[in-house]
Amino acid sequence: MNTDLPPRAAFRLPIRIIEEAGITAWLVEDPSVPVIAFNWAWTGGAVHDPVGQEGRLSLALAMLTEGAGPLDNVAFADAARDQGIALQFGAGRDSASGSIRALADAWPEALRLARMAMIEPRMEARALDRVRARAIVGARQALETPRGLVSRAFWREAFPGHPVSRSSTPESFAAIPAEGLREALALQLRSQGLLVAAAGAIDEAGLRAAIRALFSTLPTGAAPAGPALPAMARFARSITPKDAPQSAVQFGQDGPSPHDAAWEATQVALRILGGGGFSSRLMREIREERGLTYGIGAGLDVLFGRAIIVGQASTDNATAAQMIELLQHAWTRMANAGPTAEELSEAVDFLNGSMPLQFSDTRRIAGGLLSLMQNRRTPEWLAGRPARLSALTLADVANAARRFGAEPLRVAVAGQPQGL
Amino acid sequence: MTRRTSLAAALATPILATPVAIPVARAATPSERPLFNAKHWRLDNGLTVVLAENRRAPVVAHYVFYGAGSGEDPAGLSGIAHFMEHMMFKGSSNVPTGAFSRAVAREGGQDNAFTSRDTTAYFQHVESSRLALMMRMEADRMAGPLFNPAEFEAERGVVIEERRQVVESQPRSRFRENFDAAMWGAQHWRGRPIIGWMDEIRAITRADMLEFFASRYAPSNAVLVVAGDCEEARLRDLVGETYARVPAREFIGRARNAIPAAPGEARIERRDPATREANFTRAIAAPSATWGAKQHANPLEVLGHILGGGTGSRLHRALVEAGLAVSAGAGYDGETAGASIFSISATLRQPTPREALEAAVDREIQRLLTDGVTEAEVARSRRQLTAGALLSLDGIGAAPRILGGVLTLGLPIEDAEHWPERLRAVTAEQVNAAARAVLPGQLATTGWLLPA
Repeated sequence: MNTDLPPRAAFRLPIRIIEEAGITAWLVEDPSVPVIAFNWAWTGGAVHDPVGQEGRLSLALAMLTEGAGPLDNVAFADAARDQGIALQFGAGRDSASGSIRALADAWPEALRLARMAMIEPRMEARALDRVRARAIVGARQALETPRGLVSRAFWREAFPGHPVSRSSTPESFAAIPAEGLREALALQLRSQGLLVAAAGAIDEAGLRAAIRALFSTLPTGAAPAGPALPAMARFARSITPKDAPQSAVQFGQDGPSPHDAAWEATQVALRILGGGGFSSRLMREIREERGLTYGIGAGLDVLFGRAIIVGQASTDNATAAQMIELLQHAWTRMANAGPTAEELSEAVDFLNGSMPLQFSDTRRIAGGLLSLMQNRRTPEWLAGRPARLSALTLADVANAARRFGAEPLRVAVAGQPQGL
Repeated sequence: MTRRTSLAAALATPILATPVAIPVARAATPSERPLFNAKHWRLDNGLTVVLAENRRAPVVAHYVFYGAGSGEDPAGLSGIAHFMEHMMFKGSSNVPTGAFSRAVAREGGQDNAFTSRDTTAYFQHVESSRLALMMRMEADRMAGPLFNPAEFEAERGVVIEERRQVVESQPRSRFRENFDAAMWGAQHWRGRPIIGWMDEIRAITRADMLEFFASRYAPSNAVLVVAGDCEEARLRDLVGETYARVPAREFIGRARNAIPAAPGEARIERRDPATREANFTRAIAAPSATWGAKQHANPLEVLGHILGGGTGSRLHRALVEAGLAVSAGAGYDGETAGASIFSISATLRQPTPREALEAAVDREIQRLLTDGVTEAEVARSRRQLTAGALLSLDGIGAAPRILGGVLTLGLPIEDAEHWPERLRAVTAEQVNAAARAVLPGQLATTGWLLPA
């Protein structure tokens, strides 16, 4: 059924870079749909949560939308929902972020609410009591499943001594004093060190005005960065016992720096090995051919300026050992022999062809731009990506795979795996 | 255990209180601009074609919906609609196994499929110049998938692992299955899980699947939706070369067994050592846009928002703000084939006694029935339910899901194009009538999931 297809149109995202009040913003203006997405992020994040108070920043950020200025929590929520405004704050391991998505008509109200949330949060004791109770239940529920347990075990083993090894628990949420929340906000809500990305029905003047309105009255300075991430520790296979029908597996190792020349070759190698969709080697060999899992995949995650490779899968306890053996085998085979020419061309075709689809709505555009900014990319880097990908040789990708495959794959398991 | 009866028979079963004679809530003449401004037509083989043009990015979404979901699984073969969805990726007359997904990947696209109680849908998002390729391959599997015998057992294994992952490893999913079976019966179409019971997934044969395909996947029981960068003339040409060539076939319409007069169990409690939370659930059988006292469908959606639609809702105030629950909500979805449910759920805030939470829920329901809702509450809910309607124009995935979902139920396209107006027309009187007709219903189950 293969037929001649026309060449794909070259895809170009018209990114404009704007400097306002010391903040760099990327803008893709598109007035064709009356929607605005506006995302911002700063370095910092959960890394500054004190020992024993893990979850502090995420709890503090959750409080921002629980009432601000003259509005109690219900009035605040009503003001947003009356106009279909989505306003969120969130804490990551090495950064934190905010986002607004609204119809163009609701934009002034969206800005008013976001600004009020940052400048005048009420932080009422009753609201804190409620939000904390919810967070404690969330943390308890994360410990109910093999997946929740294996993720915690992996981070604990992979970076001992670094803040990313710690996860929030029911006890850590319970231990956070109200004063600690104000400290976290004072440390992290700052007018500098921000990255901003916007897309949709907003022009340059609108973006400048939004940046001034949201950030100019925050305290000066930037949130501090956390300690550098060390190389991933080598650890023997970690097993967390859990009475459950399946074992959850998390695996990984160090990746190259995002600015390493082998970055894209590594992305291609991982796309072939464990990328999304149904055609990766791991999906083919473990799911399609043997029916051992519903899904398995691996990809790059950038943290503290370093990349790590992380993957996940679940399987019946009885087949956990077999699945891990197949995984290790596929990993080693890629490290030793690299991809085939056909795999390389298919992976490059996918990565190039998927660009327009990654930028098909305002939220994805703003989110995608912000990720590029966080990895210190430029619009030129993005524009040059298809050519760089197309120029990759089999040797480039094989070398990249050999580099990450030179280290043993770290594997954590939770469940009742047999034969391990 | 299961009786296979027609929908007409199900309609005659008096499970609900006497219908109240009130005007239909639907706006008589749609006045606003249609949301997606979609064009639609029908081919000679019966396939419905829908185009929601949106030229903003050079991409298209290509969806085929079949009017058959887990609600159509034959007795003893729960999970067949879903298992078949998996097997549809294993090749067809002119496309080798796996080649469809591989071609989508090669074009940089995304493909997947999903099975609900009412429909099974297959979709790809691709750059618009690749639409023709998608249509050729999708039409090919509409004409005749292989269900490759050599891959049947491995794929059954995938489905079994999916069930273990999404149901059996999750205490609340396990409970939800128990709850539905307790209310409707383990072999009733509403009481069975979409993914199927484990022993029945194991029992499905290729012959069963071929029969299900032959009787359900006819062009006349399907809806094609294309959204994004495609003009009508081009789509008509492409459809002529692909789907129009799929031969017409007879199909069996939905024939779901009748609604029981009373629940199998009106109350269930399950203790599960895997959870430390106590969860409350109540479900009450309700009419839908396709079944029963249909005029209540839109008012019930507004009622769900007033009672349990997040911060500011009645249950949020009575349970969450009052410190009895960590979370609480109510919900209703009227866009379904056959009976729907109005549901209430809450997670207990420890150390509240669970009797206190349940009593507070009962009080709120009693208050609704006695005093009704106010015009101000209805106005707020109408506003909040519809405020973000235009956001569905941002991106290419929302339009096909909304349009395809409505059309596969046999509802008019206006229900999708003008859904905000339908809700804006709901009055307090209608909400109160719907509450009084539905909330005291006898087909209802209350359940608690408790830590062991």
